[in-house]
Amino acid sequence: MLGLVLPVYLNVAIDLLTAFILLLSFVMLSSKWISFYIHAYGIQSFLIFILTLILGIETHSVDLYLVALLTLIVRCLIVPYMLLNMMKKFNIKEEINLSIKIPASIIMGLILTVFGYFLIFKLIHNFVPDIIINSAAIALSLIFIGFFMIISRYTTITQILGLLVIENGIFLFSVILTPTLPLIVELVVLFDILVTVVAMLILSMVMKIKTDSFSTGMLNRLVG
Amino acid sequence: MKIIVLIFLLLPLISGIAALVFRNKRFAEYITFISSAGTLAISIYYLLFLLHFHSITLLNNAIIIDKFSAYIILLVAVVYFLSSMYSISYMKFAIKNEGLTDNEFFRYYLLINLFALTMLVAPILNNMALYLIDIELTTVTSSFLVITEVTEKSIEAAWKYIVIVSSGISIALLGTVLFYLAGNIHGIHHGVYSIISSLDWTVLSAHAAYLNKDLVKIAFVLIVIGLGTKVGLAPMHTWLPDAHSEAPAPISTMLSASLLNTAMYGIMRYFNIAGKNLGFNYPQEIMIIIGLFTIFIGVMGIINQKTTKRLFAYSSIEHMGIISLGFGLGGLFGTFGALFQMLAHSLSKPIMFYGSGNLLHKYKTKDIKAIKGAIYTMPKTAFLYVAGALTLVGAPPSAVFIGEFMILLESFKRSDYLISVILIILLISAFIAILAKINSMIFGVSKDESIYDANRLKITKDDFSITSLMPMAVPLILTIILGLYIPSPLKLFLNGIVRIIIK
Repeated sequence: MLGLVLPVYLNVAIDLLTAFILLLSFVMLSSKWISFYIHAYGIQSFLIFILTLILGIETHSVDLYLVALLTLIVRCLIVPYMLLNMMKKFNIKEEINLSIKIPASIIMGLILTVFGYFLIFKLIHNFVPDIIINSAAIALSLIFIGFFMIISRYTTITQILGLLVIENGIFLFSVILTPTLPLIVELVVLFDILVTVVAMLILSMVMKIKTDSFSTGMLNRLVG
Repeated sequence: MKIIVLIFLLLPLISGIAALVFRNKRFAEYITFISSAGTLAISIYYLLFLLHFHSITLLNNAIIIDKFSAYIILLVAVVYFLSSMYSISYMKFAIKNEGLTDNEFFRYYLLINLFALTMLVAPILNNMALYLIDIELTTVTSSFLVITEVTEKSIEAAWKYIVIVSSGISIALLGTVLFYLAGNIHGIHHGVYSIISSLDWTVLSAHAAYLNKDLVKIAFVLIVIGLGTKVGLAPMHTWLPDAHSEAPAPISTMLSASLLNTAMYGIMRYFNIAGKNLGFNYPQEIMIIIGLFTIFIGVMGIINQKTTKRLFAYSSIEHMGIISLGFGLGGLFGTFGALFQMLAHSLSKPIMFYGSGNLLHKYKTKDIKAIKGAIYTMPKTAFLYVAGALTLVGAPPSAVFIGEFMILLESFKRSDYLISVILIILLISAFIAILAKINSMIFGVSKDESIYDANRLKITKDDFSITSLMPMAVPLILTIILGLYIPSPLKLFLNGIVRIIIK
């Protein structure tokens, strides 16, 4: 838990950064092109890196520095690089198949954000300062938006990105609410993201070779 | 003890890498077999050791093997052993019938060992978050095993599996963060001393009373949803029938008989903490409701199935429902019955999946309607298959019968007659549905008719070799013996686990 008294600059910084993080997830919801998604994810991860770094400086915690550095390397550089590389390799220019259209998606995102806020308010408003409630609510709504992206977009890459947004949300949640979380946990989670993303990329490459598409809309043979 | 644990973990790792590096088929098969036999021997050694000791603790409490962990390790090791034996004959047929390439063959042997390793590591970890990440690694390794034979269907199954289960694990991770927060928040209100900054089972379980109650409630629900995805609790079970039916038979068995138990183990650890914190009523009610719903979905799936392996995948869902119902009913009988049911599930599922594998290679199809008269074409497999089906649906004497009976007894004891009635009706429906389908596959035609496979080729009478029959016969004998009598060391051991869970 962060200290109950925070300096003013930190309040402003956390508010601004989390607001931009939320905004970037809406950028993802409102776009039709896969490269937009990947860039928005990269920038979102970069903002989370800055937030972690600021919190590390404020709490004088070496662990947080390390976590921030690894976040920069894994979430912000390696993962987007792998995704973009794959797009280049397979020359993907296809648009995303949406099951829910963009305006409806954005409204849905808004509803999920408000829902996340109420949930987190009811849950922890007794024992944490307001600033933490705001950012924790944003973290929770990132998780919801990630799930929404998985169910509403029919492309393997957007489903991977949906999972990554969920992971970002959980990471933000744990950094804001429990900065003392053991370092080993954060390290292993990052390792896990890397492994899962690589595995999913290989799977979607196999799928591309076999079915000549990244669309998951045709995965409807196994029913019942 | 350190050395033994190290050997225990290195065996599957080394054999997997060796299988890939040396690229010799016989060598890959035998080293996997030897490593699984070694793992099984060590897991039995743990069991004997823990009869007299409380737990094995290593690396500053990072690794703790108590009775519950050792039990799960035993279940995993048994299935690993059986699967590595069955793989020898299964892969021969896969190369012959489905044109498996050498690369796919060695990748299979690398991954089956790594998959076993990740499952063996899960129960010995003391840290919750590490446990969850390990479960995520089992997903990654096994999703590549599902696409051992790369077809459009298997890719679809693997993709569904990895997406659904990974998102489930993220929910469980969120629940774990909330558990950690629950320990930290309480401290602010009641003095510094009650801050529990730890994610270890042992620490949280010992200090469960100090956790924040509201957060633990939400966190436990998130854990049940998250890990329940992996266990196959309805309505998060949707990946399970696909992955189980598209994977090769030895892998379906490992997925069904050991992976589900490994994930169930995690839920029960959290169950213990939540129960100590909130009183056991709250987590028990959740487990009862989700368990009954899962049994219902499983039975409905069984009734509707048209292919062999999906049938047993839904049967796994049903069994997991029964196990969570047993844990939910609690008490001595319920918990003991659920634990015993885990063992019974791990023994009776291999018979059915290996039998389905044999049928698949004989008839070249998984379609129940297309398989007829197996008793005339492959009498030994057919005999084991029917006997296995009887033990699976819980006809006495079998271990499944004892487990289900104890869970029923607990529901009588608590005078929850509604649960008993629902459970009995669903079990009988599953009994009828499974036996009717097995009956048509095994008998189905008169003796003089000639029998054809899916490619309209006439099938001659010719049974499989001993390596594909032994993995079916061994668990069958064990499950019947356990149905007749439970050895007293096992009983003592299970009672110890009951005390760990609901104390």
